[in-house]
Amino acid sequence: MANAGGGAYSFSLTTFSPSGKLVQIEHALAAVSQGTTSLGIKASNGIVIATEKKSSSILIDDSMVDKVAVVCPNIGIVYSGMGPDFRVLIARARKSAQAYWKIYGEYPPTRVLTQELATIMQKATQSGGVRPYGVSLLVAGWDITRGPSLYQVDPSGSFWAWKASAIGKNMVNAKTFLEKRYNDDISLEDAIHTALLTLKEGFEGQMTEKTIEIGVVTVPTIEELEQGKIGGETGRPTPTFRKLTEEEVRDYLAL
Amino acid sequence: MSIMEYNGGSVIAMVGKECVAIASDLRLGNQALGISSNFQKIFPVTDRIYLGLPGLATDVTTLQELFRFRVNMYTIKEEREIQPETFAHLVSSTLYERRFGPYFIEPVIAGLSQTPSGGFKPFIAATDLIGCLNFAKDFVVAGTASSKLFGVAEGLWEPDLEPEDLFETISQTLMNAVDRDAYSGWGCVVHVITKDKIITRTLKGRMD
Amino acid sequence: METSFALTGKGYVIIASDTTAARSIVKMKIDEDKVKALGPHLLMAHSGEPGDTLQFAEYVERNIRLYNIRHNYSLSPSAAASWVRRSLAESLRSRHPYSVNLLLGGYDVPAKEPHLYWIDYLGTMSEVPFGAHGYGSYFALSLLDRYHNPDASLEEGIATLKRCIDEVAKRLIVSPSKYTVKVVDKDGVREIEV
Repeated sequence: MANAGGGAYSFSLTTFSPSGKLVQIEHALAAVSQGTTSLGIKASNGIVIATEKKSSSILIDDSMVDKVAVVCPNIGIVYSGMGPDFRVLIARARKSAQAYWKIYGEYPPTRVLTQELATIMQKATQSGGVRPYGVSLLVAGWDITRGPSLYQVDPSGSFWAWKASAIGKNMVNAKTFLEKRYNDDISLEDAIHTALLTLKEGFEGQMTEKTIEIGVVTVPTIEELEQGKIGGETGRPTPTFRKLTEEEVRDYLAL
Repeated sequence: MSIMEYNGGSVIAMVGKECVAIASDLRLGNQALGISSNFQKIFPVTDRIYLGLPGLATDVTTLQELFRFRVNMYTIKEEREIQPETFAHLVSSTLYERRFGPYFIEPVIAGLSQTPSGGFKPFIAATDLIGCLNFAKDFVVAGTASSKLFGVAEGLWEPDLEPEDLFETISQTLMNAVDRDAYSGWGCVVHVITKDKIITRTLKGRMD
Repeated sequence: METSFALTGKGYVIIASDTTAARSIVKMKIDEDKVKALGPHLLMAHSGEPGDTLQFAEYVERNIRLYNIRHNYSLSPSAAASWVRRSLAESLRSRHPYSVNLLLGGYDVPAKEPHLYWIDYLGTMSEVPFGAHGYGSYFALSLLDRYHNPDASLEEGIATLKRCIDEVAKRLIVSPSKYTVKVVDKDGVREIEV
């Protein structure tokens, strides 16, 4: 990292204002709220995270744009804010997950990975010569101890667990919408529909499988778990997080 | 003179019915000279995991302290107890960190792992000094008497032993094996781990 | 040849070490004190590679004193022993390891218990009722197996120690002529004549 040396001219850009605020972090949050809306809903048997994918030009091949990213077989992340910053964080998250796997022979619980990411983001608010990350994240994952969990991480490095949350441009409206729609025993299927309905509020243009991305966490049954966490043929753990294909998104939109 | 045989000592672990046992001798020596008859080589990791560390005595203490540190950090960070399978991987990766200047220890792990439905499953494993894992279904041995332990365990062990029978089997196996090893002996300690308690007994053998 | 013994008794630890500083076959010095007082209730006998022994003993002494000054509180014998052991274990895998063998004895004042630790240059540590280093250990340990009594009075303890010294004088070819003997108990550290 560029700030590691800490030379004579490396000073913190994030400095307290006399009123006790860190203005740089507030600016970072402003960058997030200019980003496209993303949301996550925790259902009784899984989690859905979804986002709108907007291209600045029709000439961009949007099949190559990924806003929902798989970190490891049990965790996925969606973001609002600056794409390049997200890419860096995803690379760090994936590396961290693999490092964890190398030590413990299993992938990290959602909380541990979220904390790791939050620490990385916090460091950017205190180190010399760097700016805070201009993204908020929604981290969705499943693990044996805590089951399905959904976390939000902000540029300050703070994080919370949510039943449902939204970030980005329409977050205030989306959250109000989710508050009205949410109940504790919503099913994953219903949650996906609620997610799409929420995104539809304030969606500019046409909602299609090309302009929507969805990721889901599915909770394995006790029987599946008793069979073992390793898939027989491949030797890999059975994924609990996956991205929906364009076909699947189209089917949900058609309903 | 082999470094692995400098201080002497042996450990064995066995699987029983909803229980596991781990046992070791208590000798600390300098080659043929006995120094202590109360040198513990088995340490509790959690309420349901025990770790045996036979080999070079300085590394017994160093690794015991290192694993205590790493498991404490794990417990605090993850807000959960480490499971035997995970701990076995931690042992393996910790030893492999020193691939080209290893700790002279061959760890043995015994514990009960929690199943998804809330039950407990016996777990034993052993590694070599650079962390190559060996998951066994019946028993694992390590230390200066390992060759003898293999022979006796092969003859005495049977599947699905109840805790008290497993205690008898592992005790007899260890006591008879270390009697044929000049570097092991001077008393034994046996731990039987069951889902609701741990039975620890210290045994006197031929104290010569 | 270099020899050191130590034994515990009722409320005390006795540590004895020979007083020779040898180089090859020559005795360079015959009144070297190789039992260091590390604190008001802590003693340490050191033997091994000349140079390393004194260097390491002083390093330990200064660090234990530093702890005392920083925290205004003495390390317990077990804590001091753990620290010394770790220092040796880390030194072992460094480029220039110390080769020093130690007997560390102390009186734990709050717990009112004597403790003795046998430590070698590898960083092997064991709490023992009695211990020895050097060629004398081959004679002393079997004697101590027979005569040691953890509840013995100081006089009885000294008598046992004398047996060890006499046996080494009788049977070891190159036996030391003189020993420093120190005791640590609730009243602190003191040297005694045997």
